[in-house]
Amino acid sequence: MLVAAGLAGAGCAPGTGDTALTADALRELPWDSIVEHARDTELVWRMWRGDPAINAWIDGWVTPRLQESFGIRLRVVEGQGPELVNQLVVEREAGAAGGADLLWINGETFRNLRDEGLLQGPWADVLPSARWVDSTSAIVMRDFEEPLDGFESPWGRVQFALIYDESRTPDPPRSVAELGEWIRENPGRFTHDQSFTGMTFLKGLMYAVGGGVERFTGGFREADYHAGRDSLFAWLDAHRDAFWRGGEAYPAGVAELHRLFANGEVDFSMSNNQNEAITKARQGVLPPSARPLLLEEGTIANAHYLGIPFNARNPAGAMVVADFLLTPEAQLEKLRPEVWGDGTVLDLARLPEEIRRRFEALEGDPRALAADSLERYARIEVDAEYHERLAADWRAEIRRVGR
Amino acid sequence: MTRRSLRPLAVGAAVAAPVFVGVGYAAGASIGMWGVGAGDALDPRRFVRVLASPVTLESTLWTLRVAFISTLLSAVVAAALAIALRRADRVGRWGRALAVLPLPIPHLVAAVAALLILGQSGLLARVAFALGAISGPAEMPPLVFDRGGVGMTIALLWKEIPFLFLVAASVLATRGEALEEAARRLGASEWDVLRRVTWPTLWRGLLPASVAVFTFVVGSWEVAVLLAPSDPLALPLLTWERYIDSDLSRRPDAFVLALLGVSIAAVAVVAHELATRRPADTRGTAR
Repeated sequence: MLVAAGLAGAGCAPGTGDTALTADALRELPWDSIVEHARDTELVWRMWRGDPAINAWIDGWVTPRLQESFGIRLRVVEGQGPELVNQLVVEREAGAAGGADLLWINGETFRNLRDEGLLQGPWADVLPSARWVDSTSAIVMRDFEEPLDGFESPWGRVQFALIYDESRTPDPPRSVAELGEWIRENPGRFTHDQSFTGMTFLKGLMYAVGGGVERFTGGFREADYHAGRDSLFAWLDAHRDAFWRGGEAYPAGVAELHRLFANGEVDFSMSNNQNEAITKARQGVLPPSARPLLLEEGTIANAHYLGIPFNARNPAGAMVVADFLLTPEAQLEKLRPEVWGDGTVLDLARLPEEIRRRFEALEGDPRALAADSLERYARIEVDAEYHERLAADWRAEIRRVGR
Repeated sequence: MTRRSLRPLAVGAAVAAPVFVGVGYAAGASIGMWGVGAGDALDPRRFVRVLASPVTLESTLWTLRVAFISTLLSAVVAAALAIALRRADRVGRWGRALAVLPLPIPHLVAAVAALLILGQSGLLARVAFALGAISGPAEMPPLVFDRGGVGMTIALLWKEIPFLFLVAASVLATRGEALEEAARRLGASEWDVLRRVTWPTLWRGLLPASVAVFTFVVGSWEVAVLLAPSDPLALPLLTWERYIDSDLSRRPDAFVLALLGVSIAAVAVVAHELATRRPADTRGTAR
C-alpha cells in the first residue's frame, strides 16, 4: 500500500507541477484515486489572514488533520479577494507556475476570476461531502447571483448584522426608520467603514429604501440601479451630518470600526458574519455585552467559497482539502463560537442524527440570533455590478466632502 | 571616452534596473498593454482622465502638503536639536543617544501608537476626560483621520526628526567644527558663527536627507492607512484603492497614479540637484 501511495504521489509531487492533472480531468476519476494523487503533497492555500481566530483554527485544527489523514502538508499564505485577480493575471503573463493551489473567494472576485478565465473547473460537484450541502439555498448555490457551475465549492455562510452594546443601548433600533431616528437623536455615534463590510451595509440599505431586494435581482439593470442609488443617497444626505465626524471621515476597514465601537466613540459596529459580535466579545476585542442586531427590512446573507486557480500545481490536493472543509466535523468545529462562528453551508436535515444534534446544540446560544429569524431576514446578494457601481459612486458622491 | 570612464554609469544602471523595469511595467499597464484590466485596445487617454480628475488633484495636493510640512518641521527641529545637543561631555552623548531612540521603531508601529494616543478615545482624550476637560470622545479635537493631517504629521515627525538629527549631528561633527573654529579665530562673534558658518553647513548637509524624507512621505502607505482622512485620500491610499477596485476596468488607474508618485519623487531629486549645483561645477572632471 505504501508503494502504491508512493507511486501515485510521484505523479504530482511538488516540482513536477506541469504534469499534474487539472481539476476538471481529475473529476473523471474515482474519489479514491484523487485522494491518492493528493497524498504526500504540499498544498498552498492563499487566504485572508487577518483574523487570529481563523488562523488559529486553520493552523491548529485543519493543518494537523490534513497531514494525518492524507499526508497533505498545508501551507497557508496571505492574499485576499481583489488582490488575487491581479496576482494571477501577472502569473499568467509571466508564464509562472502558480503560487497557490486553493483560493478563498466570493462575490465580485469569483466573477472577475471567471471572466478572466483564471479558475479551473468544473470540479466542486464531485466532492463526496457535496451531498450534504444545502443545494436548495439561493444563498449558498449562487454567488452574487452567479451560478457556481462547479468552479467553486462553498465552505461557509454568513449574514450581515449590526453590532450594538446591550448595556449602552438597551433598546436598539429595529428598522431602517428607527435607525435613522436613532442616528438623528445621537449625533456622532454611528458610522460604517469604507471597505467590504461598509459597502454591504450600504447595499442592504439600498434594498431597504430602494424598493426591496426584488427590484435588484435578476441581473444588473442601469435604471433600477440609478433609482436605488438615488434613494440611498437621499437617505444618507438626510442623516450623514449626524454620522461620526459629521460624515466627513469614515474608518478604513471594519477592524477600525470595531475599535471605535469598543472604545465608546460610536455605539454600533457591524459585520458580514452574524456571529462576530459573540466571537469577538469572547476574544476581548468587543465588550462582553456586544450583541448582533438585524433590521426588519432584512440583511444580506452570502456564502464564501474555495476555488482552484488555473495554474495550481496541486489540484488534487486542493479538491481533497475543499472536501475536508465540507465534512460535517469541520463545518461543526468552524461554527463553534469559541473557534470562528462561521455559519455552515450544509443542510442539517441531510446529516446523520448524532451530528445534527451537535449542530442544533450550538445554535442554542442565547446571545446569538435564532436560526429561524436569520432565515426570515436573509436577503440575497444581487449581481456584483451593483456592488461595483455603488462603491464607486459612494466614493465619488458621498465620501468626497471637499467638492 | 575610455572604457573605464563608463564603468560608474554601468554600475548605476545595474542598481537602477529594477526601477526601470517597474516604471516600464507600470507605463504599459497604465495604457492597457498588459496587466489586469487590459482590454482589447490600448487606452492612452486613461492618463488624461486620471490625471485631470479632481480626485487625483486633491489627493496629490494633500499628500504634497503633508509631506512638505512634515519634512520642513522635521528638518528645523532636527537642526535645532543637533545644535542644542552638541556638548562633548557625557550628558551630551546620552542626550544624543536618547534623541535617536525612535529610529529603529517601524513606521507602522509609530502610526499605531499615534492612533492609540491621539484618537478621540485615545490616551490623551482619556487624560482630558479624567481632568474634566472633556465629557466625551466627540469633544476631543479630531487629530487622526483629520483633514488637516495633524495626527499623520505628528507620527511622521516623531519618526523623521531622529533620522534627520542623526544626519545633522554627523554633519556638524565632521564638517562644522573646523570651519567654526576658523571663523572664531578671525574674530566672528558666536552669533555670526551660528548664522554664517554653522547654519549654512547644516542646511547644505541636511538637504539630501530631507529630500529622502520628503519622497518617503509622499509614498508612505502604512502611516497614511492608519491616520489619514478618507477625504482627500492620500496618494498611496488612492493608488491602492484603484489597484484593488472591484471593477477590473478601473484597476489600471493605479498604474497612472503610481507613475505620478514616482514623478513627484523624481522632480524632488532633480530640483535638489539643480538647487545645490554650484555655478562652476567642475568637481566631476577636475580629477
